[in-house]
Amino acid sequence: MSKQINVALIGNPNTGKTSVFNQLTGLNQKVGNYPGITVEKKEGICKLPRGVKAHILDLPGTYSLNTTSLDESVAVELLLNKNDKDHPDVAIVVSDVENLKRNLLLFTQIKDLKIPAILVINMADRMSRKGITIDIELLEKKLNSKIALVSTRKETGINKLRELIADYKNLPKTQNVDISVIAPEYFEKLATTFPKEDVYKLWLVITQDVNFMPLEKTLFKDASSFATKSKSELKRLQQKETILRYQFINGILKETYKVDLNAAKGFRATLDKVLTHKIFGYLIFFLILLTIFQAIYGWSEYPMDLIDGFFASATEWVKDTLPPGVFTNLIAEGILAGIGGIVIFIPQIAFLFLFIALLEETGYMSRVVFLMDRIMRPFGLSGKSVVPLISGTACAIPAVMATRTIENWKERLITILVTPFTTCSARLPVYLIIIALVIPEGSFLGLSYKALTLMSLYLMGFGAAILSAVILNKILKIKSKSFFVVEMPNYKLPLLKNVGYTVLEKTKSFVFGAGKIILAISIILWFLGSNGFSDEFKNAETIVTKRVEQEGFSASSEIYFDTHQDGLDINDPNASDQQKELEERALAQEIAGYKLEHSYMGYMGKAIEPIVRPLGYDWKIGIAVITSFAAREVFVGTLATIYSVGNDEEETIKNRMAAEVNPRTQKPLFNLASGVSLLLFYAFAMQCMSTLAVVKRETNSWKWPAGQLVFMSLFAYIVALIAYQLLK
Amino acid sequence: MIQHILVYITLAISVGYIVTKFFIPKSIWSSKKDSSKSCGQDGCGCH
Repeated sequence: MSKQINVALIGNPNTGKTSVFNQLTGLNQKVGNYPGITVEKKEGICKLPRGVKAHILDLPGTYSLNTTSLDESVAVELLLNKNDKDHPDVAIVVSDVENLKRNLLLFTQIKDLKIPAILVINMADRMSRKGITIDIELLEKKLNSKIALVSTRKETGINKLRELIADYKNLPKTQNVDISVIAPEYFEKLATTFPKEDVYKLWLVITQDVNFMPLEKTLFKDASSFATKSKSELKRLQQKETILRYQFINGILKETYKVDLNAAKGFRATLDKVLTHKIFGYLIFFLILLTIFQAIYGWSEYPMDLIDGFFASATEWVKDTLPPGVFTNLIAEGILAGIGGIVIFIPQIAFLFLFIALLEETGYMSRVVFLMDRIMRPFGLSGKSVVPLISGTACAIPAVMATRTIENWKERLITILVTPFTTCSARLPVYLIIIALVIPEGSFLGLSYKALTLMSLYLMGFGAAILSAVILNKILKIKSKSFFVVEMPNYKLPLLKNVGYTVLEKTKSFVFGAGKIILAISIILWFLGSNGFSDEFKNAETIVTKRVEQEGFSASSEIYFDTHQDGLDINDPNASDQQKELEERALAQEIAGYKLEHSYMGYMGKAIEPIVRPLGYDWKIGIAVITSFAAREVFVGTLATIYSVGNDEEETIKNRMAAEVNPRTQKPLFNLASGVSLLLFYAFAMQCMSTLAVVKRETNSWKWPAGQLVFMSLFAYIVALIAYQLLK
Repeated sequence: MIQHILVYITLAISVGYIVTKFFIPKSIWSSKKDSSKSCGQDGCGCH
């Protein structure tokens, strides 16, 4: 077995850490969570020279080892805890060539923990443009470490980095800064009380704002000699330590790092002026949003049609090829229909994430955060709330986690409570299918009505979040406000590899995250829809055939005839055969519909129908609304399954939904009124059990998620009710 | 008959999955639980 070494990849945010990780690991990476907490854990395997393998762990970005948030503490905890199975043999500290001074603070701290460390100076390709020169040899000597000058964009320096990792045993473990000079007596006492422990490590544990799981601060409770230092005294010492480190760094960089200011004048400042301008900034952002939503529709149409057609054919193929029976029906009508209902949205989801990744990669997203901060402040939200709200467009769960960076508890609570209003990717399939069904074709100023509707729903989500924040701000009476600092990274051309990885990873987690739930729910629903106990269910064939003979076909079948009789030529001698075949199919559909209505699911749906009827929904939509409480995407899968049960037609989900008739009004079920009502319901309702669970965990109480659920559901119901009653 | 058995097995797996996912607290499966370190309390250290 070849030897495997543990490598921790650590660095400040926006230093290109993920790019280095991608270059080292390629596709050999996986994403998970740290045990016990929902902080993303990215790890991968890198093949090194001489047959050595490295297990690379990409740690959350941190500016220093003096942590203030739980995310940052993950990095520190791993570096301090030698018993952790991921404790690094070597640490790679990724820094950005333009902010080397700030980045070296973290590097010197890691060196002082006596962990072999390699400094990666990334974005080396920008050096000539920015007029930067570095004496690498001298810098290595001064830092007593090894340096890899890397450009992930030009793919240079990665091989050298691999060699340095493989050769990690030769890296010096000496410390850079002796921090005991800031309070000699205190550190001496520390060393004598805990002779077996490293003083700097003890100092880090004492001064952290966050409790570590394996390294409890209680260790120091019995040591009375440390009670002499109050929290403010410790903070003062921490500041002294930072000053001491910067004195050391300044001294080194004076000799090794030069910047020609004349060459450094870039177009960043000019671009920032325009992109963060009070008027143009918002205008440009608005235009970018419009382009994104237009593209999501325009570009996805063809692949979506292909996927839809593929699943319709696959269903047909399963029914024709596999031996007839209930299990074959389950595969065709339950499993394939449910999965098809979600897979069809992959193109649109992928395009959305592609645009988000491009905005992040170019450095534009930070400008958006800055722009939005101006809007947020008057509504009582912290500037830091912008990040969770924007992340909420992907998923509310990591967005709720992202509120951990907000120091003020009440501001954090408000952000947690309003973030689920942001349009997450799970809402997208629901929006897309309903918009496709009820919003007419046509355009305004070159933008399709459908794209404009989608964008309005996103804006409405943000609007609802802000409105709720104002209300909560008044109720909760926030007295103190936190400050907002955002780092504006340099503008750069997006690395296609990074964008590709992001799109792949996000789309994968979207499909597989909800996929298992959708599959399970589709199977249960198929069973409930295919079985029943009543006489009507058992004798459906006889009852419906007799009814058709006496009263003729229903309105639903009339629509079926209208859509399928287009190609029928009455002069054709085979026309009557074709007509007969159509009638047989229509009869089969009526029987299937009757059976479904009297199945277990039918009875359940009928029981909840009185609640959803005022919104313009029938019992089938009611069932989909209930099941989608597990995850919003389940809505489409549920309807796809319901409309497939007992149905032998090779039809796409969209066509099946379009053919549905409201038995009360005898008009298409999905019309403008019921469609808008559904869109608004999903825009505001808290249809996500996982988010509720995360909110409970983050607030440590059921009170907040329960309030959130009641408020959002009521709000959604009332808005949907008003919309339907006005439009019907 | 075989098809019926397969349907019931698939159904049982699906129901089992949904129940364990949404209705049984994760703490039953995992012994690692310490509410004293959860967020939302004074001094939890997260804010």
